[in-house]
Order: sequence, then structure tokens, then C-alpha cells
Amino acid sequence: MTGKHPNAIRLTRRAALGAAAAAVLAPRARAAGPEDGGGLGTAEKPISIRVMTNDAFSKIWQTTLVPEFNKKFPNIQVTVDGVAYSEQLTKSLLDLSGAKPVYDVVITDDPWTPQLAQTNALLDLKKDAAAWTDPGFDWADFNPAPLAASEWKGVQYGVPVRSNMLLMFYNRTHYRKAGLPEPTPKLTWAEFMAQAPKLVQDLKGEGKPNAWAIDTYFGRDQLTPTIWQAILNANGGKLLDANNKAAFNTKDGVATLQTFVDLLKYAPPGAKNHLFNDSLQSFRQGQVAAMFMWGSVYRGTAIDPATTTLKPDEVGAQVMPVGSALPGTHRGIWSGVVSRKSPTPRAAWAFLQWMSSKEGEAASSSLTGGFPARRSTLAGTPPAPWLAPVFATLQMAYDVAEKGQMWRPRLVKSDSVQQVLADEVARATSGEIDAAAALANAANRIDKLRL
Amino acid sequence: MTIGMKRPTRARLADTAGRWGFLTPAFLILAAVLAYPILYTIEISFSEIDIATFMPGEFVGWDNYETVLTDERFWYALRVTLIYLVFALPLQLLLGFVIAWLVNAEWRGRGVVRALFIIPMVVAPVVAGGIWKMMLDPLWGLTTYLLGLVGLPALDWFGDPVLAMGAIVLIDTWRWTPFVVLIATAGLLSLPRDVFEAAEIDGANWWTTLWRITIPLLVPVIAATFVVRWLGAVKMFDIALAATAGGPGRATNVINLFIYQEAFRGMKFAESAAMCVVVLVITTLLTGLFLRGSRVLEARFQ
Repeated sequence: MTGKHPNAIRLTRRAALGAAAAAVLAPRARAAGPEDGGGLGTAEKPISIRVMTNDAFSKIWQTTLVPEFNKKFPNIQVTVDGVAYSEQLTKSLLDLSGAKPVYDVVITDDPWTPQLAQTNALLDLKKDAAAWTDPGFDWADFNPAPLAASEWKGVQYGVPVRSNMLLMFYNRTHYRKAGLPEPTPKLTWAEFMAQAPKLVQDLKGEGKPNAWAIDTYFGRDQLTPTIWQAILNANGGKLLDANNKAAFNTKDGVATLQTFVDLLKYAPPGAKNHLFNDSLQSFRQGQVAAMFMWGSVYRGTAIDPATTTLKPDEVGAQVMPVGSALPGTHRGIWSGVVSRKSPTPRAAWAFLQWMSSKEGEAASSSLTGGFPARRSTLAGTPPAPWLAPVFATLQMAYDVAEKGQMWRPRLVKSDSVQQVLADEVARATSGEIDAAAALANAANRIDKLRL
Repeated sequence: MTIGMKRPTRARLADTAGRWGFLTPAFLILAAVLAYPILYTIEISFSEIDIATFMPGEFVGWDNYETVLTDERFWYALRVTLIYLVFALPLQLLLGFVIAWLVNAEWRGRGVVRALFIIPMVVAPVVAGGIWKMMLDPLWGLTTYLLGLVGLPALDWFGDPVLAMGAIVLIDTWRWTPFVVLIATAGLLSLPRDVFEAAEIDGANWWTTLWRITIPLLVPVIAATFVVRWLGAVKMFDIALAATAGGPGRATNVINLFIYQEAFRGMKFAESAAMCVVVLVITTLLTGLFLRGSRVLEARFQ
């Protein structure tokens, strides 16, 4: 007789059983539970993660970057799926907002973070993933402009994994044959427009022009207005004011759109419909002297003989011409975000950490032509000699973009704004309406969006 | 007597149950793949859509329809579609029946020609648009080279609004005329031979035979082909997407491309759903009209 109630023994047994069960189950719960983020896998039990990205670089990531990542994380199997740009935002939204998302990592374009963040399905990397962040992962090393692309309302949802800036590519042979000095970052829009007629020339002795001054996005596309926006920003203009009302429908705004439309006078036949591929091909085939294009095409345009007819020393790249305020550029950062519903967020974040680390950036630059976002990568010794001038240009472009806030609207309805601009700018470039009417229409439609 | 009445009733019931047994799976599949999306689209068209969940939110009544019907761009896209249809449909029908008539005649190698005609039909519309875009390119396109051989300048097919629409009609005609040829060939082969033999005995020449016999007998086939092609053509958007993206400006921005861009680029799913419903109603009404017309023609010429 101990004086204890019999039930006390039973309770103690239950407690002991419960404790034993907890002891048995606890390690498993840690392995698969949220506090461990699903772990990083083992040789016996590797972890699989799935990445949704743009189809322009999904294949090269899978074949080139994933093997590099696996040298450090051999137990994380990565599958990279490519999606066409036009469907990528919708698919990302659908997947992230679904009950059981397919993707652990989603690679998003520059203006999409606010739209994805409102699904409440993204991990706050500095808070939710802090415990899984490598102590050596230096957030402060990122250039502010590319890092800001995946920040929204004070929360860092992503990291830059393929940074891009609009640059001016030029063909030195065309400038030399036209008797013009090679462009420098000090080249102004007025100077460029004055030189353009001389860059329309007969380089083959055919008695007619077979080389033109410029090619870029002129057709009907959401990225076409970014070229005009670069001119607008370089001249101190803004797309939206502090109240998210259209701020571009001004005399100066119209003048900058007119400059963009005037470029068509010196562009090759058919350029009114040219977009990414068409302008890239005309430059790579030596038919135009200059091209306003995303910097990441540099490798395929100047270095890789399989994709270009140009030689490395023939191609230069710099920021776009200078307006009344600044040189021009436009930010286009692909950032990686982690789905909050991923069963393996730690492995997903490990992949993104590696991609945005100095090591990952070096591999991406030299193997895929992707550009880094870290100051230390850009200031250090580049992994390939041809990257040295490119890195210098990129750093300048980041600084300019930060100063002039040269990016697309960062709003939940940013794609709606961009579509309006795509419609109206295309009407101006086609000659259907003039620049003033196009901007008046665009301003009217954007203000109706109630941003 | 009572037993005798029960047997037919039972048999009838068994027959009906058997029929419904066979029909039910088809009805269920149709409801899932056709009725549900249409009803869901109608539901969205009366709501505000929450992009975060992709679910219809607040009921907004006719607001989305009002927005759509007062949007000049919607009517412009319908106008562009009408222009495309007015040129593409008659051209495809005319070419299809003429080619079928020529192919139907006895000549060596017609089997090979018939087989070749199938090729455009099996090419995906987006691929067709992309290939034609390359061929018509004024810088490095095949057509520019061919025009140059006869001393003609390159044409800016996709930079000029009229030529761009011409290019879309051309590509669509290239892709769909073989379909018309197939139907027309089947129609021609099904015509009663005795009528033609009688006409020959009566001394009718080829023109009289064509105008007085072949075409009248083919009218029901032509009408049916028109309705089938109309239903295909009215939903065309992939060729325009691949070749012009609706440009230059909005010269080739057909209604389905416009709706696609508003939904998936502009993220205006509710307004786009309303546009889909309006287009569905217009298409249904016109299709009903065409079917009625084809029945009238059938009655007149049969």
C-alpha cells in the first residue's frame, strides 16, 4: 500500500507510453516536420525538389547548373521545368495558390513578386527560413537593385538568381565603317539619333542599304514598353506618381515615346514587328549596328560561335544612352522564391542559396551567361576573361537603375499596367496613332485600373 | 391480356434503360469537360475574381458585361475578326472546292497530290505561324528571295497593317484549305453518277455540267463545310499569336487573341470571362442562322 490511487499508476503508465511514443516519433517528426524543413536528404533517402522557371533557360540550368549544385548537395535531386513566359505568371499563381503545389521553387520575373506575395504562399526568407540559412550567406553583399526585385512590403521573399539589365549592344565594325566613334557610356540620346542615319549603310557593296542602325523590341509585347521606359527614366520621367496615377503623360513623356518611335526610321525592314528573337538575330547576323537588349544575351551574341556570326572583339555592351538626367537601363531580375506549402522548404532554400551564392553566380556566369547580383562577384576576378567588361557595365547599370528607379511598376496589378502600355506603345510604333494620343490613352486606361 | 401488355412495357423500359446506360457515360464526360467550364466561366463573368485563390469572389451583377460592352477595344477586336473571316472563309471554300474538283479528275500523280495536301493540316497552328513568319520576313525570308529573283522589292508583311492581315489570311488558308479539300472530295465522290451520265447523253458541256449539276448538288456539302469552317475560324488565335502577336498596332488582334491577352497578360479574368460569354452568344446565334440557311439551301437544291 503506497497510498496512491490505482489510477495514478495507470496515468503514469500512459504518460510513460506517451513519452516512449514521443521519443520514437520525435526524430521522424524532426526529419519531416516544419522545424527541419524536410532536411537536406541522405544518400539512402535523397530529397527531390521541383523548380518552375522560364523555358528560355530551364534546359541549361538542368544540364549545367544542377550538376554543379549536386557537387555540394548530392542528396537533393532537382527537376527544372520550363514554362513559356506568357504563361509563367498565371501558372505560378495557380500552383502557389493550390492546395498541393507541384513546385517547391518558383522563379519569378521582376514585377511579379507583389502578385505572388498576395497568395500568402511564399516563404519569408529572412524570417521563416532563417534557421536554414548558411551562416556565410551574405545578404548585404547583394546590389540593392536586384535584391529589391523580390522584396515586397518589407518582406524578402526571394533572391536574385539570374540578373538582367537592358543594355546597349553595339557592333564595332559598323561604327568603324560609318566613320563614327565607338559608343561610350557618355553617349547621349541626341548624339545617338544624330549618328543613326549614318549607320544605315551598304556594307556589302550592293548599292542599297543592307545594314541598319538599331533593332530592339518594337512589336506588340509587354517588354516593348521597357525600351521606352528606359528613355523616359533617363530623362527624369516616371511611369507612376506616389498615388499610383499615370505620371508619364507629359510633354517630356511624349517626346521620349516619339524618340522611341523615331528609332524605327533607322531599323531594318520588318522591325515594327520585331521582338526578342528577331532583334537578337539581326544583331547576331551583323545586320544592325546597335541593339537594346537584355545583358544576359551577351554570351550567345559575342562569345559562342554556335549562336553568333560576330567575334568577341567586335561586340561592345554598355548602358543605354544618356538622357537629361541619367544613362538609361531597365531592371529585369529573375528571382527564386520558395513555396510555403513545400514539404521540403529547406532543400528548396538550399538550392536558391547556392544559386545566389558567389559560387553559384560564378557557375551561372561562365556556363550559362547569367549575370550575378553580388557586389563581390562583380568586383572580383571574373570566372572568364570576357566577363570583365560585362561585369563593369552591369555594376554601372545596377547603380543607374537604383538611382533612377528604372523598373516596371511593382504592384499587384503590374501586369495590367504593362499590358496597357504594350497595347498603346504598339499602336504608336505601328503609326496607328501618334505618341501623344498613345500616352493619353494609356494614362486614361491605367488610372481606371484603380491601382 | 394483362400479361401481354406487361411484356411490351417491360421491354420498353429495358430498352430505355439500356439506351440511358450507354448515354450516361457520354453525358457525364460532356458535363465535366464542356458544361462545367462554361458554367464556371459564366459564374466568373458575374463576379470579381480573387487572383490569390483563383476563385470567384463578390457577385458584381452585370458590371463586367458593362465594362466589356463599353470597351472600344473589344468591338475593334470583333471588327478585326470579322475582316479576317470575310476574307479567309470564302477564299478557303473556293480554293478547297476548286482544288477538290481538279484533284478528282483522272490524272497521273493525283494520289501524291492528295497526300501532300494533308501536310498543312497536321502542322500545329503555332508552328505554322512561326514558319510562315520566317518565310515572309523581309530581311531573310524565302519570299523576299523569290520576289528578288523577279526584280520585286521585299514586302513588309508584318509591319504594314493591310499586309499583316493578308499574311494571317494566307497562313490560315494554307493550313485549312486541305480540310475543305477533303470534305469537298468526299462530297464530289458521293454525287450520283447516273445524273452526270444523263447530262453527257443530253450533250451538256463541262461548264453546263459544272454550273447546272455539280454545284447545285454540292450546295448542301458547301453549306455544311461553311458552318464547320466558320466554327473553326471564329476561334482562331494561335496563328495570329505566333505570327504577329496581334500587331502591327492591333491590326491582327482577333477577338480570341484579345481575350487571351486581357486574361493572361492583363490578369483581367472576370472581364475576359464576360467577353467569352458575349462571343459565345454571338457565335451561337450566327451558327444557328447559318444552320437554318444551310437547311433552306438543302431543301431547295435536293
